[in-house]
Amino acid sequence: MRAEHAISIRYFTLLGIFVAAIIAFTLHAIEMPNHLQRPEFLTGYVMFGLMLLVALLNVRKKLSMVPIGRAAYWLAGHAFFGVMLIGLYFVHTQTIWPEGGYERAFAMMVYLVTASGLAGYALQRISPRRLAAADLEIIYERIPAELAEVRRKVQAIVLESTKESGADTLGRHYLESLSWYFRRPRFFVPHLFGLQAGQHWIRFQVQTIERYLSAAERAQLTKIEGLALYKDKIDLHYALQSVMKYWLLIHVPLAAALLALMFWHIIAVNVYAR
Amino acid sequence: MARPQRWDAPFGPEMTDTDVERLLTLPEIAAIERGKFPNHTPLVGVIKNDSRLVRFEAGDIVVREGDYGNSAFLVVTGKLRVVLAPKLPRELIGRQSSRRKGLLEALSQIWTNRVIPEVRDTQRYTDQKLRGSATDLARSQVFLQDVPAVLVDHKTAELGPGTLFGELAALGRVPRTATIFAEEGAELLEIRWQGLRELRKYDAGWRRKIDERYRQNALKVALRESPLFQGLNETELQEVANATLFETYGSFDWHVSYKRMREQGKAEQEPVIAREGEYPDGVLMIRAGFARVAAKMGNGQRTLTYLGAGDTFGIDELWAGRDGTDVSLQTSLIALGYVDVLRVPAPILEKFVFPKMKAPPAPLIERAGRPLTEDAPMEWAVEQRFINGTKSMLIDLNLCVRCDDCVRACASTHGGNPRFIRHGPTFDHWMVANACMHCADPVCMIGCPTGAIHRSISRGAVVINDTTCIGCGTCANSCPYNNIRLVEIRDVGGRPIRDPDSQKPILKATKCDLCETNPGGPACVRACPHDALRRVDFRSGDIFRSLG
Repeated sequence: MRAEHAISIRYFTLLGIFVAAIIAFTLHAIEMPNHLQRPEFLTGYVMFGLMLLVALLNVRKKLSMVPIGRAAYWLAGHAFFGVMLIGLYFVHTQTIWPEGGYERAFAMMVYLVTASGLAGYALQRISPRRLAAADLEIIYERIPAELAEVRRKVQAIVLESTKESGADTLGRHYLESLSWYFRRPRFFVPHLFGLQAGQHWIRFQVQTIERYLSAAERAQLTKIEGLALYKDKIDLHYALQSVMKYWLLIHVPLAAALLALMFWHIIAVNVYAR
Repeated sequence: MARPQRWDAPFGPEMTDTDVERLLTLPEIAAIERGKFPNHTPLVGVIKNDSRLVRFEAGDIVVREGDYGNSAFLVVTGKLRVVLAPKLPRELIGRQSSRRKGLLEALSQIWTNRVIPEVRDTQRYTDQKLRGSATDLARSQVFLQDVPAVLVDHKTAELGPGTLFGELAALGRVPRTATIFAEEGAELLEIRWQGLRELRKYDAGWRRKIDERYRQNALKVALRESPLFQGLNETELQEVANATLFETYGSFDWHVSYKRMREQGKAEQEPVIAREGEYPDGVLMIRAGFARVAAKMGNGQRTLTYLGAGDTFGIDELWAGRDGTDVSLQTSLIALGYVDVLRVPAPILEKFVFPKMKAPPAPLIERAGRPLTEDAPMEWAVEQRFINGTKSMLIDLNLCVRCDDCVRACASTHGGNPRFIRHGPTFDHWMVANACMHCADPVCMIGCPTGAIHRSISRGAVVINDTTCIGCGTCANSCPYNNIRLVEIRDVGGRPIRDPDSQKPILKATKCDLCETNPGGPACVRACPHDALRRVDFRSGDIFRSLG
């Protein structure tokens, strides 16, 4: 428990700093008009600085050969400053949904980037535990090869069964139904949501064919069922590892678009402020 | 298939009967009483199968300081020199001079790393001082080019015919303490540890010789380092040393049976050093290797803890029985691989140690009261021999998002090719990945013909000198955990480098070097965004409990 405890302390410390900073900053921004100052420039440039800081996580990943702090601290900072940006955005715009097309596009990007970031963060906290509980560990890139190996084994069992029994019952069922399952990863969405659709499907297939098989063929079917359940675990890995890898394909382009909008916003504000 | 026999694979297949006859006339071997050897292990068999004749030319390095070896040497003809002081420079004996990169140099890897991995500047291989053997890579030698200069610059001592050396490192599995090289052409009888063990076991002369040397050179140091004997003065320590017995358990080649166990999933019977229920006749002190303390549990043995070099066993019972009551052993001590044990007899303890000793901490048997699930990860680590690792890569699968940032970080600091695989044995939510564990007992270092694989001076990591590595694969084959890989290298133009004669690719052994030359320590640890990856020493307390 000590490691998680240490991580929690770190996160709560950062959270405390985040809350304190946003309260102090908001109070200051509210107070500024009373001193005939415009808070928008201050809040805007603070947001600009924070956005660049948050975007630096990607640079940190490319610079793993130099000691510039542990990536875990960078990620924690990325998450907390990212959330802080939403608060700053409200202080900066003083609205949830601004007027004007450009401003609305900007707001939409802020919300989408934050939402995709939070979703990714949640995914990365939940999915590893589900994978660890699957009692199988497989490298993502190895999944196609492993599936091919499982398929080869199943086909060998089916062929052997057909040869030994002289009946094509199992072979026919394989061609009609089972081959669909063993062809590629299946039940992607159910696996994402923790549903047991894959296992249910396997049970249904076994029950469907079992009554037509001899004792020897049933023994072969049991072997196929074992391999199918093994593949179900691979499918779970495929689904969760895919999502853990590819959610960044949503978050990063959105963040890049937000940065582009931000730069344009700064140029426009400075040009029209004169 | 016939049942395999002990001498099916002799140490030196080229040893002839004539060689054996000649060796039997050497005074050191002629003095051995052949009749003391059992019929199944005759002296002639030991000489023929457990030893081999090796020839060294002037300047050849026979053993290097810091190397691990599993054989001793008897000088047959010629002269050798042992380097006393100052030590030979590390580069001269085939070591790597590891210089840590500066920040900018480390950063420059962004643009200096090539797209094609494992590119080497072949220029630096041209001046390596290797005397090669085209047919047997494992017989290649690192040699000193200028022996007279070495003799002038360094204090050395001569080793002539009849000198035995290397036996303590071979039997005790400890690093060689000095570098020895051939001053002129020399012929040596190399005796592997199995033969050495038989000679010590059956011949009183060899036993006396080896034991005396150990008593003179290492025993008192080992005893003095143990907290048990720290209150003793010099005379008392000498008395203890004189009475101490040496014992070895398990196989020196434990990694072979361990690999088999990993492949077949079947553990071999481990030798019991001391059995639960028996009466202790002395305290056992581990000198090298590992042993586990176990208590009977149902039909098995539950591991309570494991002991490494310097740890003692049996003191709880001896202490409890010091007033004369008979207290049997509460736990068993079981060898994990090869274990070198010192046995200090009970009367000696009662006379010298107990009067000055404080009561030992809680007996180990008390740990048997803990819930089984608490000890399950430790039991697994012991079974898998991960306790050997001092820097094992432990991944918490509950935190790991399988992003491979660790792998990419490793690749970016090692010329584009990672030095580990993010895969390995798992238990519960723990994985020990296939990364060099920088073992306490580095069997990979045994048998490296050029000394390319060695411990670095700066951090004690096991590293490979790419310049002197000849790609023979000895280290990769020996590593019990399959953590060393041979890679085909390419020249700066990206072309595969091949041996001009055989056209076979030139290989180099690669493994995790703990980012020895990079600033900031292991890049893999720093790169993990979820703190899922640690480099841990399984011997430093209960790692699993401390990590959660």
